Amino acid sequence: MLNQMNVRGLLFDPYNNAYIVILRDEEHSDMLPIWVGKSEASAISFALEKIAPPRPMTHDLMKTMLDNMDAKVISTVITDLKDNTYFAKIHLLFGDSEFTVDSRPSDAIAVALRTEAPIFASGEVLHKQNSEELERWLENLKPEDFGKSDA
Amino acid sequence: MAETNTLIPLKVHGVLVDPNTDTQIVVLRDEQNSEVLPIWVGTTEGTSIRLALENVIPPRPMSHDLICSFASYLGFTLSKVVITEVKNNTYFSTIFLSKDGVEKSVDSRPSDAIALAVRCQCPIYVTPEVLERRGGEDLDTWLSKLDQKGSEQPEA
Repeated sequence: MLNQMNVRGLLFDPYNNAYIVILRDEEHSDMLPIWVGKSEASAISFALEKIAPPRPMTHDLMKTMLDNMDAKVISTVITDLKDNTYFAKIHLLFGDSEFTVDSRPSDAIAVALRTEAPIFASGEVLHKQNSEELERWLENLKPEDFGKSDA
Repeated sequence: MAETNTLIPLKVHGVLVDPNTDTQIVVLRDEQNSEVLPIWVGTTEGTSIRLALENVIPPRPMSHDLICSFASYLGFTLSKVVITEVKNNTYFSTIFLSKDGVEKSVDSRPSDAIALAVRCQCPIYVTPEVLERRGGEDLDTWLSKLDQKGSEQPEA
């Protein structure tokens, strides 16, 4: 079963010097935190805040290349979680054919936000992810950690 | 856009870490090793280029690997990338995609174009105008200084 997810925001994780993308399902009952690197977080943040950089960033190029190849992103799916690594798939429509391409969730989310494609998470991933870890982590956060991402 | 026969083919000579800033420098050289074109890129892009040069296959696909997967799934090849222009210290480049004899061009930063070219074994060119305008009189001195400095520090 697939659950449609929305990107709720980005948090900075000062303990790991990384960023966390928070995905929530439409009913707000499930939350999926995904740790990403700084440049991936910045690619997601630019799209969330609709900032157009002076030169195309890597994911803007990804979108332009897909546009030029006449391919459309139908959807992206966070499919699996293995050894703390999330796996994702990007579904493309090209002519009458559908292609499924393996990717990291950070790239899938960055491209979904730019192409207005939906983001799904498999029920299995939502079930597997250990939300206790995030809750523990959130409890330790100070109010100033909730500022806008500086990426 | 210059004709292909006036374009100068370049090879990626290496990626250096600039110890003074949070950036990396992609050093491009022509076949005779007589021209050098250094291009400053971000750490992520520099690392992406270096991984491809060293034939390192990361456990999960990096962003440029993903773009290459898109092209190969859809049957497109990267025919060439061209560094076309330099304006206010910013380099511009174009990626050429082809399929069934039809060629499309896409505007990009040189860092992305080079990261894709080294993965797809596609040639990298520069226009003569860019080489002229890069202002490289002090470049060799600068590069040799950087090599000395860089060698004292571990690579990022």
